[in-house]
Amino acid sequence: MSDLLQYLVSGLAVGCGFALLASGLVTVHRVSGTVNFAQGMFAVVAGLAAGSFLSAGLPHGVAEVAAVTAAGAVGLLTGLVATGKPGTGPRAALIITLGLGFVAYAVEIMVWGDGPRSHPGLGGTIQVAGAYVQRQHLLVIAATALVFTALGLFFSRTYLGKALSAAASNPYAARAVGMNVTRMGLAAFALGGVLGGTAGVLLTPMLPISFNSDVLLITNGFAAAILGGLNRPGLALAGALTLGVAEALVAGYLDASYQTVVALVLMLAIMIWQASRRTALDMEAAR
Amino acid sequence: MSHLLRSPGTLAALVVAAVAAAMPVLLPPSQVPVYVLLLLAAIVVTGLSLLMGYGGQVSLGQASFYMIGGYSAALLAVHGLPTWVALLAAPVIATAAAALIGVPLLRLRGHHLAFATLAVQLILLSLAGRQEWAGGDIGLQGIPQLEVAGYEFADDVSYAYLALAALAVVVLIARNVVDSRPGRGLRALATSEVAAESSGVPVAGYKLAVFSLSAGFAGLAGGVYAFFIGYVAPGSFPVLLSFEYVVMVVVGGTGTIWGALAGATVITLLLQLLNNIGTMEGMPAAAPSVLSYAVYGLLLVLAMLFMPQGLVRGLAFSSRLEVRWGTWKTISSRSAKRRRSSA
Repeated sequence: MSDLLQYLVSGLAVGCGFALLASGLVTVHRVSGTVNFAQGMFAVVAGLAAGSFLSAGLPHGVAEVAAVTAAGAVGLLTGLVATGKPGTGPRAALIITLGLGFVAYAVEIMVWGDGPRSHPGLGGTIQVAGAYVQRQHLLVIAATALVFTALGLFFSRTYLGKALSAAASNPYAARAVGMNVTRMGLAAFALGGVLGGTAGVLLTPMLPISFNSDVLLITNGFAAAILGGLNRPGLALAGALTLGVAEALVAGYLDASYQTVVALVLMLAIMIWQASRRTALDMEAAR
Repeated sequence: MSHLLRSPGTLAALVVAAVAAAMPVLLPPSQVPVYVLLLLAAIVVTGLSLLMGYGGQVSLGQASFYMIGGYSAALLAVHGLPTWVALLAAPVIATAAAALIGVPLLRLRGHHLAFATLAVQLILLSLAGRQEWAGGDIGLQGIPQLEVAGYEFADDVSYAYLALAALAVVVLIARNVVDSRPGRGLRALATSEVAAESSGVPVAGYKLAVFSLSAGFAGLAGGVYAFFIGYVAPGSFPVLLSFEYVVMVVVGGTGTIWGALAGATVITLLLQLLNNIGTMEGMPAAAPSVLSYAVYGLLLVLAMLFMPQGLVRGLAFSSRLEVRWGTWKTISSRSAKRRRSSA
């Protein structure tokens, strides 16, 4: 029973990381229509940078915030390259973000080497109902709850947030009332960078990451986001938590090496089920 | 026949074929393995170009079929089947596998399909590493030499000619598919599935067919690879390999056979050059990987931004070839215009 609780908490914590990644994907996709393959890269950059800032002597908190800010800047840069040139369609943008991921590999290997790295998080465990729960896991869950609340307030209460939602729901009307939809897309990319970066600094103490961890991070983030059709942050959160818990249970009770297989099969099943309910006509009318 | 010879496209093809056939003998022996790998990449990329360029479907997991081909050939040969049977089985098994997983997978479009194909490869890699009969993470070793009708393929040059023959077959098939009625149907469904369907194109069938065909090409290349290297393991077929094929297709230009060949050649040569630079004395140990990642990334980004039609059509490398691909230009410029106006 205490095993189960432990798996549940660690699964929820990992799922929260996926949820942050997925919410970044959703934010960018809603506004710009682009699936950002570099979303996992933001997390890797922030995770690795946080480690460097910490070993350079910055205190906890400051180092993480600096790393997340850096990820936001990388996000903005990614957006500029991927959507800045007029006439770049969503499919081209997907391939461009894939290419930017490669460029990031080169930079990451130069700066941080090619081995997996980690940085110390919140150490220690506390006892809850007979189970030992790592404090870092609780921190990740709390931070994610905070971020999602802030995100909800941002989209419903602030001017920029409302403008982003408007540009997402009807770009034509948004442009007609004088909004710069391209700039909104860039803002979404920067926000995506911040969200991905937050996931990176929170996840790195739990799972050491190396430059090529981004493929697994992005597939898990995509798997979570796809539940809400890449457009609904709430469903993405639900998907991510399910995914995290499912992976933790598979790793705990069956075999750790099957946990990604479970996640991927789940993602394929969801996508195929969704596709069976949408015809080609729907897809092309939505373009 | 005489009018065929006068056509500049055929002439160019003959020249390229002659140069390609002379290469294994002309190259220094240490470079022949690179040439073999280049040819194998060209085989996979020709298929992927058909799928991406003509069929309009993105695959980020094409190396899975290369892997299926390689493992099929290796397993059959290790278990005592005649090696030529194992080689022939490789594309057949890869095609069958693609036809099987294609049925559910090809309901997906665009980035969904891209992630689904990536997921398939990650699943395959994870599973192959766990199976004892497939050698686990260590892989299958001791694959016997390929033997066809008493001739043993023992040296690199013989594999270069084998790969060349395979590439010739693949290019011929691809060319005939492109020029056929199904080829026109494919091009139509790449632009609009609804329009194609209402004009009587069996969309689902054609998509599955081109997916399986491109998988078969990759499987054939994988089979040759298994015999050439003599060893297969999950590590031989990383996700990065799939991305590499996409880079080759995009750099060469989707939807032309010339583009696929040019893309595979340019990228392989460039990587080899960078590898030579990176391993020179005084370079840090990480230099080769840093250089190759940087170049992959920059090429992919720059090609997508500034040369979306690819090297071959982008550089218009021969004005005479442009005549042959003239129909192509009008189609692509028309669709580019449409894209601009809808953006």
